[in-house]
Amino acid sequence: MLYKLQRKTLIPIQLTGYIVTLLVGVSIVLLAVQAYYDLRPVLTEQTGVFKAHTVTVSKNITIYKTVNKKNIYFDNKELKKIEQQPFIKNIACFNTATFNAKAAIRFEGQSMITDLFFESVPDEYLDVQSTEWQWDSTSGFLPVIIPEDYLNLYNFGFAESQSLPVISKNLLSQVTFNIIVEGNGKRKIYNSRIIGLSGKINSILVPDKFLKWANVEFGTQSTTSESHPSRLLLEFTDANDERIPHFIETNGLNINKAELEANKIVSLLRFVLIFVLVIAAIVITLSVSFIIMSFNLIIQKNRKLFVNLYQIGYTTSQIAKYYKWVISIITALDIIIAALLASFTRSIYLKKLTNIFEIDSNLIPVTISASVLIITILVTYNHIIHRIVSHTVKAD
Amino acid sequence: MTVLEIILNKLKPQYMSESEVAGSDIYMHESVTFRQGNKYLINAQSGHGKSSLLNFIYGSSKRYEGHITFKEETLSGHEAVIFETQKLRTHIISYMFQELCLFPELTAMENVQLKNRLTNHKDNSEIESMLDMLLPSEKKGQPVGTLSIGQQQRVAAVRALCQPFKFLLLDEPFSHIDKENARLVANLIIQEVDAQGAGLIITSLDRSDAIPCDYILNL
Repeated sequence: MLYKLQRKTLIPIQLTGYIVTLLVGVSIVLLAVQAYYDLRPVLTEQTGVFKAHTVTVSKNITIYKTVNKKNIYFDNKELKKIEQQPFIKNIACFNTATFNAKAAIRFEGQSMITDLFFESVPDEYLDVQSTEWQWDSTSGFLPVIIPEDYLNLYNFGFAESQSLPVISKNLLSQVTFNIIVEGNGKRKIYNSRIIGLSGKINSILVPDKFLKWANVEFGTQSTTSESHPSRLLLEFTDANDERIPHFIETNGLNINKAELEANKIVSLLRFVLIFVLVIAAIVITLSVSFIIMSFNLIIQKNRKLFVNLYQIGYTTSQIAKYYKWVISIITALDIIIAALLASFTRSIYLKKLTNIFEIDSNLIPVTISASVLIITILVTYNHIIHRIVSHTVKAD
Repeated sequence: MTVLEIILNKLKPQYMSESEVAGSDIYMHESVTFRQGNKYLINAQSGHGKSSLLNFIYGSSKRYEGHITFKEETLSGHEAVIFETQKLRTHIISYMFQELCLFPELTAMENVQLKNRLTNHKDNSEIESMLDMLLPSEKKGQPVGTLSIGQQQRVAAVRALCQPFKFLLLDEPFSHIDKENARLVANLIIQEVDAQGAGLIITSLDRSDAIPCDYILNL
């Protein structure tokens, strides 16, 4: 009976409007959250450093400079000048090894030795995340990061022309070798492995801590002397700042333009995702406000019915129950459908993206976000509906 | 067996002046007691706050000065009790409203069932036999909104009887009912009130003789 009475108070067109807007809003939010999660490698890790708009700069090498090598280094004055530019947020130097280093590998009983060079950058500028990226003076293991380009050069260039097998990243990281460090009459052998490939920093990297220590121990550097770097990492406050290209040009600096462009794309992508998320959040908020307003209207329109029910002994909970159930079931189903819709859409873009990026991801974000949305919205509704009903029937 | 008493102390509607209620047997009196088991008729001209008095007791209006208390008389003495509003309305006091408060889109049977299912006081056959007694059979299946006021009043009377109560409040129950039907309704009411050992407070302008009362109070 109560059901028969209250069913008539609902207005189908309002419910339909609510279902559609909520579905659209939630689908977009879930998709944006999932996309943000799926694209993390692009947005954060792979571009690690570059998430804060960082690029590598060096001086242009001219014929004159090939003779007088001093001019490829940045001196203190130049560093200070760069640091003071308004669009520079942070500046970090590449440290270069001043000692002799060799890599030795044993393969089928033969050992091969090759000369090496090392550089290092502060850890926070690395685009490779690994727990193995650690070193202390008691450690016999020295992790190394090489540029991704080296592997590509081998796989697509050298191996191809010499009919050698190609090497995967995974296989490469399993190869162990020795690193021999010499200088100042001292010699030390480390076990080593390539623990990652950097897509952004074009150098053979060892931990910063090791290089600083080894430069003193084996190299020409004393603990107090300062090295002059030839390459810098610049962190921009905004990679789109128009003054950057002008500054780079007038100061004879060399910058990887593709890197700068990639940064712009990443910033743009992030901006677009956040923008979409905000719009979708607004759609959800509007849709929720809309249904609450509709409900308020239903109650006001049928005020006499509700007051009468209260008069003959129905409690506010009993009166509100039907609306709570209807709205809860509709909302929960709507959000579940939106989650399925978002997952389906994701499977489409994933097909395209897996060709470009390595995506190691799952549907956890959609599931969690949908559950959080369901719980939050339902709790809000139940609370508000109860309040509106209670306020209406006890008005006198 | 406990006996419930409703005690009014210096009660007065907020919207009436003291001179307006002067001469009342109830308003502004130090203490007026309605006792379970007795029948009270409250006489007054319209506009003298009859419905207000019942609304105050039922808890649906708080616009009064003074106090209304419920006391239970037990073997050990009197004890004040406070009822939660909806418990009061489903188990302690039943009220036949002057404005009836029926649901026009429901049938007579459904209107009564809507009330009855709160306590399951009567079964369907009991409800049906009461309605049969008071309504033409072709009217039972129609939405209450299509019935005459007199017929609606009869439905409201039956509904008021479908719950346990210690007091039954009737506000102008026979205002649109002819003498013969008033007698039928009155019989049903008296039967149920006596069966439950309840008290009765009835306000009436007409047919005040349909139910014989123990006390007559002028408002």
